[in-house]
Amino acid sequence: MSIGRVTQRMMTEGSLSNLQQGLSRMARLQEQLSTGRVINRPSDNPTGTTSAMRLRSSLSDQVQFSRNAQDGLGWLTRIDASLDSVTSTVRRARDLALQGANASSSGQVARDAIAVEIDGLRKELISQANTKYLDSPVFGGVTAGAAAYDAGGNYIGIVGDVNRRVADGVVVKVDVDGPTVFGDGATSVFAELDALSTALRAGNQAGISAAVDVLNKRMDTVTAARTAAGTRYQRLDQADQAATDTKMSLQNQLGNVENADLAETTVSLKMQEVAYQAALASTSRVIQPSLLDFLR
Amino acid sequence: MAGTFGSISTALSGLRYNQVALDVAGNNISNASTDGYVRRRVVGQSVSSAAPALWSRYDGHGEGVAVGEVRRMVDPLLDARVRREHATLTNLQTTQTVLGRVEEGIGEPGENGVYAAMLQFRSAWQDLANNPGSEAARQQVLGRAETLAQALRVQVSNVSNEEADQQVHLDSLVSEVNTAAADLASLNHSILVTEQNGTDAGTLRDRRDQLALRLSELTGATTTVRADGQFDVSVAGSSLVNGNSATTFAIDPAATYGGAVGAVTTLLTTTLPAYRAGLDTVATDLVNAVNGQHALGFDAAGAPGGPFFSFDPALGAKSLQVAITDPALVAASSVTGGARDGANADALSVVGTFTESYQRLVNGFGTQVAAVQRQTANQASLTGSLDDAWEQLAGVNLDEETVNMVTAQRSYQAAARLMTTLDEVLDTLINRTGVVGR
Repeated sequence: MSIGRVTQRMMTEGSLSNLQQGLSRMARLQEQLSTGRVINRPSDNPTGTTSAMRLRSSLSDQVQFSRNAQDGLGWLTRIDASLDSVTSTVRRARDLALQGANASSSGQVARDAIAVEIDGLRKELISQANTKYLDSPVFGGVTAGAAAYDAGGNYIGIVGDVNRRVADGVVVKVDVDGPTVFGDGATSVFAELDALSTALRAGNQAGISAAVDVLNKRMDTVTAARTAAGTRYQRLDQADQAATDTKMSLQNQLGNVENADLAETTVSLKMQEVAYQAALASTSRVIQPSLLDFLR
Repeated sequence: MAGTFGSISTALSGLRYNQVALDVAGNNISNASTDGYVRRRVVGQSVSSAAPALWSRYDGHGEGVAVGEVRRMVDPLLDARVRREHATLTNLQTTQTVLGRVEEGIGEPGENGVYAAMLQFRSAWQDLANNPGSEAARQQVLGRAETLAQALRVQVSNVSNEEADQQVHLDSLVSEVNTAAADLASLNHSILVTEQNGTDAGTLRDRRDQLALRLSELTGATTTVRADGQFDVSVAGSSLVNGNSATTFAIDPAATYGGAVGAVTTLLTTTLPAYRAGLDTVATDLVNAVNGQHALGFDAAGAPGGPFFSFDPALGAKSLQVAITDPALVAASSVTGGARDGANADALSVVGTFTESYQRLVNGFGTQVAAVQRQTANQASLTGSLDDAWEQLAGVNLDEETVNMVTAQRSYQAAARLMTTLDEVLDTLINRTGVVGR
């Protein structure tokens, strides 16, 4: 700009507007420092705003995934513990059955005693089948009731998947269907124990031997269910770990997009401050003199 | 020499002229910081009977000085440019102020905006999916849904309030335009009459220039100067001031205005309704997705899910409400029979594209605000340099006025000395001539 003629007003207003600009730059940096963020409103950086919103969305998803996985791990831990005791109970029943098969010498009294213990194991097994996690029977599917099996060994749950969403599009089943472990009604482990107990009381050797075979098969079933649950436990654990890792990295990214670089902003503020002081000093020198100071 | 006393009037003309020069310098200095004041400069004119009558001969050497004119240092072309750029600047500044205010109300990105409410709404569904039997989880879904609906309604009402404010603003702008136009028309008349009398109308002209600038800032009006010096002002192609008469200004929906009125009309007809419509779209997406999925599920008693949100498409996002108050009616289950199933809650947590449409909306609005800010900054520096050019021409420089003042003072002294000299000369002639031997 070529300046032909300069007036006092031009200089005052020019100085004022430059001072204003300096101050507003300082205010902007000061806002960034005091909020700790470079994006305080969408127009500060529209693209960054969208990124920040996306990142926040993913972050919230990951936090939720991690929480879901933790909840699922709770279910599966409970199921694992329960299946562990189921295994030992069934094994004990089979051992007793073997004992009963060999107990022909010791006579009916011994078999009756075994039958009583078998009845006890059956009760124990029913209570194990009704194991609950947070008020829900873990083998009862989606039932709203308090138990998966009634006292007669009939399945009263509702078979359905209790799923946990642990990653985008990944859902993991965290319950075990009761009937796949314990069977239902006449084909259930409870009916098998009933049959064993009856055979023992009747001294029916063929029935006892059949029960041993059946219980061996049942043990395999329980072990298989426990293995399957263990695999899912592992998946959940990995998913939880992945969600936690992703969360950390997303938080870093969000910080990069949204947060002010403290060192850089502080240095910029300091520079602005120096510039502002220089502007003030030059203004005070420029505004003062006039010809009147020199005319006497 | 033109007569014995001719030179005395020459000295007198010098005294008078320098008196005027001092007056003008004094006036300039007094008004050095007055808004819209244009500096004056005395233009002297030497007086002589340069065109003598026929058959006569002029043997003088000039008869002093007269005030030719007191010139206002303006450039009509520059004034027109200043008015045009100021109109654009005011337009952008008004838009920027309003959009900035609306933007502050959006509160994105952050922990408390609509977006955060959307995310919390989604995670509440997940929590319910984890724990479908829990009354607390159901209550939390309803609470967060209410928070989300309220956050959307608050944004809508922020925008609507701004629209209402701008409607009032527009009315006050229109009445200011009418006042300014009437004043300008009457000044047109006053200036014409005053100058026909031969009186200096500089102050009136200063005021008229300011009014013309103000009218441009308000409406983007263009001013044309008539041959007789009157200003004609037209807005958006139709005449507002014609000589000494002004027509009443009213907003014509079909016309395109500049200046502040243009900014406010654009905000009211386009920008703000568009943002509100964007919020309506977000709300529609939300309601359609959530209600649709909710209807596929079953509540705690096993009955099919009813509408989750209530919404009137005709009224838009401001009518968004949570339709359910009983937590048991939240349809978390995907199987009937009152089962403790969370599959539908899980589906509800991922349903819909309303978060994306909200992201787009905020991004679009932010981009718009950022663009206006950039344009305003550019326009401000352009207008600033034009204002500087105007100030170069019309502004008062105190050094210059001091010099003028000192010059006038010295000239006045010299003219007075001339008077003294002539007096002494005449004294010689009258009192000392022909007194030999007296």
